[in-house]
Amino acid sequence: MARPLLESGHRVVVMPMAVARWGEIRRQTADPGLLLTFLGTAAALGLFVLYPAFRVLVYPSLRDYLAIPESLRWIQAARNSLMMMVLSTISATVVGLVFAFATTRPDLPGRRMFRGLAMLPLFAPPFMVAFAYILMFGRQGLITRSLLGLQANIFGWHGLWLVQTIAFFPLAMLIIAGVLDAVNPSLEHAARNLGADEWTVLRSISLALARPGIAGAMLVVAISVLADFGNAVIIAGGFPLLATEAWFRMEGMGDLKGAALVVAMLLIPTVALFFLERYWVSRRVYTVVTGRGSRIERPSTPPVLKWGAVAICSLVSLLVLLVYFGVIAGAFTAVWGRDWSLTLEHWRLAADRIASLWSSVKIGALAGVITGTVSVVVAFLTSRHLPFRGVLDFLAVLPGALPGVFVGVGYVLAFNATPIGGTVWVLAAALAFWHLPMGYQAASARLKQIERSIEEAAVNLGATGLQVLRDVYLPLLVRALVEAFAVSFIRAVTNVSIVIFLIAPGQVVATFVILNMIQNNIWGAGAALTTMLLLLTFASIGVTWIAVGRTVRSPGMG
Amino acid sequence: MNRAHVSVQGITKRFGPTVAVDGVSLDVEEGSFTTLLGPSGCGKTTLLRMVAGFHHPDQGDIFLRGIRVTDIPAHRRNTAMVFQEYALFPHMTVGENVGYGLRLRRVSADEATRRVGQVMELVGLAGQQRKFPHHLSGGQQQRVALARALVVEPEVLLLDEPLSNLDAKLRIRVRSEIRQLQQQLGKTTLYVTHDQEEALAISDRIAVMNRGRILQLGTPLQIYHHPVNRFVADFVGLANFLEGEVSAPGQVRMEGVSLTVPDGALPGRRVTVVLRPEAIRLHARPPEGVANVLRGYVTAASFLGTLARYWVDAAGRHWIVDVPSPGEALMTGEVFLEIPRDRIHLLTET
Repeated sequence: MARPLLESGHRVVVMPMAVARWGEIRRQTADPGLLLTFLGTAAALGLFVLYPAFRVLVYPSLRDYLAIPESLRWIQAARNSLMMMVLSTISATVVGLVFAFATTRPDLPGRRMFRGLAMLPLFAPPFMVAFAYILMFGRQGLITRSLLGLQANIFGWHGLWLVQTIAFFPLAMLIIAGVLDAVNPSLEHAARNLGADEWTVLRSISLALARPGIAGAMLVVAISVLADFGNAVIIAGGFPLLATEAWFRMEGMGDLKGAALVVAMLLIPTVALFFLERYWVSRRVYTVVTGRGSRIERPSTPPVLKWGAVAICSLVSLLVLLVYFGVIAGAFTAVWGRDWSLTLEHWRLAADRIASLWSSVKIGALAGVITGTVSVVVAFLTSRHLPFRGVLDFLAVLPGALPGVFVGVGYVLAFNATPIGGTVWVLAAALAFWHLPMGYQAASARLKQIERSIEEAAVNLGATGLQVLRDVYLPLLVRALVEAFAVSFIRAVTNVSIVIFLIAPGQVVATFVILNMIQNNIWGAGAALTTMLLLLTFASIGVTWIAVGRTVRSPGMG
Repeated sequence: MNRAHVSVQGITKRFGPTVAVDGVSLDVEEGSFTTLLGPSGCGKTTLLRMVAGFHHPDQGDIFLRGIRVTDIPAHRRNTAMVFQEYALFPHMTVGENVGYGLRLRRVSADEATRRVGQVMELVGLAGQQRKFPHHLSGGQQQRVALARALVVEPEVLLLDEPLSNLDAKLRIRVRSEIRQLQQQLGKTTLYVTHDQEEALAISDRIAVMNRGRILQLGTPLQIYHHPVNRFVADFVGLANFLEGEVSAPGQVRMEGVSLTVPDGALPGRRVTVVLRPEAIRLHARPPEGVANVLRGYVTAASFLGTLARYWVDAAGRHWIVDVPSPGEALMTGEVFLEIPRDRIHLLTET
């Protein structure tokens, strides 16, 4: 029989009227522990998510906003950012689509390898692709100069375009492959049965069904490109962009108001894209999971398509491998571009800065604990029939729409003048709450998989609210907690866009040191330290994998 | 004092603008097996869940052994429930699942182990305590859920469509097992289903529900043979419905036909004649010396194993007729319907 509205109406925030409903709410909130947790969490989200954003937006005066069109440099930065968004989004989505297609065809040679390789950029620190490509294709580039003898200049928009394509196509691949995977094979078989050849099936069924996925992928990639700070700061050179402009304003000129204005400008498109994705595209996904479709093998892919895809995937995979190869090679090469002999000298230099790696780990662990805890608590609260739980949900996903530089400037404005200003706590909180959406959504999804009746069964047998939490939810959410911790930790130790604004004297972290090294052309030590960061990342993935028994979801880019 | 074991009095429950349960009263006697039967959305599950304490009624009260439990929270009522999707704890072994209620009741470990062993034997799963739920088949998970509910010795056992996830054959087997177990333990049981055949097979009493109300409460035989209205007659079993007017005592006239019916209705009243398909007899030649014979024509026939089902056009309408133990050949062409007077049920509602 139909479930009563209370269970099916998850989207309803506060239903109008209904004495009955207020009755339910009263009974729920009659639990003082739950009510206190709810209020505490709401306050924390308000303070660490909403307040910094608010501070950024109100810091410049209305007159400052109105003066934006008069500043040629800002208009140019905005135009450049939008141009990069269009270019990189299209190229990354196309490459991602090819990979998604290739890795979902069972008869494509090397499909598992391609999927594995395509995941690699997701685990790289957010400046690593740019760094590696300077080593490979720059003025001293191994490929451009030493092998091909070219006088190449990778700095500028074209270099950034290549870098962002490689850095963000994995995101597109994951989203599109997820949709393609979910296409019920019997739909394709039905089309074949009606007389469609493979080309027609692909065009009229598979790709047609994947269209919302492709749109979603484009929006997610576009947000990442707009917010990309790490690659841009290294490789864009004199090409002004909004994300880097904020940093130059603040660092170079101490112009906090200018920085706030720039990140506010950046916020408009990212927030728009974010909500477009979340509330429009993601609701138009046709591929409903309806149990297991028939597991009939797909017929073989047409050869042109098959080998075309293999060729593109091979080329891109090579570019991905160069990212890792470049940085690791750089860490062992005496003088890049001049003296190719092997050395451990850079590691000694890097070891001198090992303290920065420890602060990274410390801050990362702190951020991970906060993200993990808050994720699970918010997910638990939003699963209750509490009033205003929609607000809580909104605040927990909102950081996903905020570019890192926006959060960075926001925390500077919100907390620098407070007693905790300049401590590791501000940095850890910024990183933790910025990563909250991933942990929260994972925990929430896990919680939704847990049948409501499981909780009711426990209550029915005599369990109180706390006993339900202890006996049912905590054991079932441990994995979500560990994963949220791991993802937040990895992204925190590799972050640059927030770190760069909130770094405190005496608490220098590894990414900050690496960035300085790269900008001062100390490539070897920078590469060595980056390699250590990579080891740390993969070690954390390994530990998490052992802890929860499967791979961590890709941490994405920061 | 009300001697009913479970008593529901004047219960109303709304979800937003929807009235899920609308002023329902129901008494369940000790040791009886009572089924709430109705289509989706009729309020049967909501009613069951209110007895369990998962929903609080907007109006009315619930009594267990005459004690008002309306405001007692779910975890303090001893009303163990078997859920439609079993709701076994996936992270606990079968033994831990079944023993969970005992652990919450602070039963000593030894005692709990003994009782879990006993109840596992009772449901035919002796020695399977160390497995996890996902190692078991659907039918076995079903029994674990039943064992988990029984082990705490509940006041009343609640079952919410417990068989809907099993395949047809297993469903029939498990339902007779549930019934046997219930009779053996003498446990007061409230059972929810939308399957009328299941309800007829398993229950002492059936409450047929629609739109939040109980339309009829009675034994399976009463419900089937003497439905109080067209909805009940239609929902439980198949029926031919004919509308007409009482022309004289014991006579109903409708378009083209006049039938001799049991006495009872006053002349001039509109009535609905309810005829179960198996109540009608089918003859190849006109039978001698009986009333209510109609000449008809077989339009379709279907062999169902233990019976044959015919669609017959007679007196300007379609009839469904079931003939038990059909012989070697199905009838075709012209046939004669005989409608025994005492098998006719009259509905006098408008």
